Amino acid sequence: MISNVKIAVVDDDQLIRDFLVDALMFCVNRDVLSFDSGSTAWDYLQAHEDVDIIFCDVDLPGINGLQLLAKTKKKFPNRKCIVMSGDPATEKSAEELGADTFLAKPFNLKDLFDIVQVFVVEGTRKPIKGRTKPQPSKR
Amino acid sequence: MLRFGSNPPNIREMSEDEVLLSRLELLIIMSKAYLEDCPLGKHRKEAVLRNAQRVAHVSPNWGSYGIQFRSNDESREEMDFGHVFHQRVQLLTLMTKSFVEEYPMGRLRKKALKDNVDRICQAVMFSGQMSGMKFLKVA
Repeated sequence: MISNVKIAVVDDDQLIRDFLVDALMFCVNRDVLSFDSGSTAWDYLQAHEDVDIIFCDVDLPGINGLQLLAKTKKKFPNRKCIVMSGDPATEKSAEELGADTFLAKPFNLKDLFDIVQVFVVEGTRKPIKGRTKPQPSKR
Repeated sequence: MLRFGSNPPNIREMSEDEVLLSRLELLIIMSKAYLEDCPLGKHRKEAVLRNAQRVAHVSPNWGSYGIQFRSNDESREEMDFGHVFHQRVQLLTLMTKSFVEEYPMGRLRKKALKDNVDRICQAVMFSGQMSGMKFLKVA
């Protein structure tokens, strides 16, 4: 489990951004960072090493989500990137750029809980290689 | 790359209604977590309060949102049912604020909270299942 996990949400749609922040904050009982543009998110990510998981929408002002993904994976390969999109055409690009998860809109609460289970409860701060599907919890 | 959310033919941007419904579902999960004695903590309380405020602030005519209600009384007008449902949702927001702000709850208030949650779940066909959310037991 990742203790004291730090999550960042990047989405210019305030409704979705605020919902994600509240849902994730409730799940992990930790503060969740939020940004309304790729540029401000990237400025923060470069200056701080403490972010573990990033939820970013593809359609962002300034640096878009895929550009943010590429930059993040190049400089901080251990950070987990969850790419969100309402455009099916972006899924392949997200995978090619190294996204850890593609979260297709519309998504529901269970999707968020499953992501928390995989990346926070079962996650580590070390890179996970060769993973293609959710693993069952070990007992 | 893992994948969550909608499948390709159904991928699109989320509507406000969908976000609201997800917030309502989150409020139900928050209430159930409290009833199951999951630890709250500072950040969870903040998330609960904000979520309750957001749900309370929106005053939709649920009947016009095309939400599929499940009612045993076939003769009931959908609009009237929508009004009662709306009142139940408003009541739920007040109940969640009560337990977050640590008002004395007691057995009967907890029962009333559980009953209200169950009735909302029945009406909107939420399963409200807490399985797969063991991380809520962690502070």
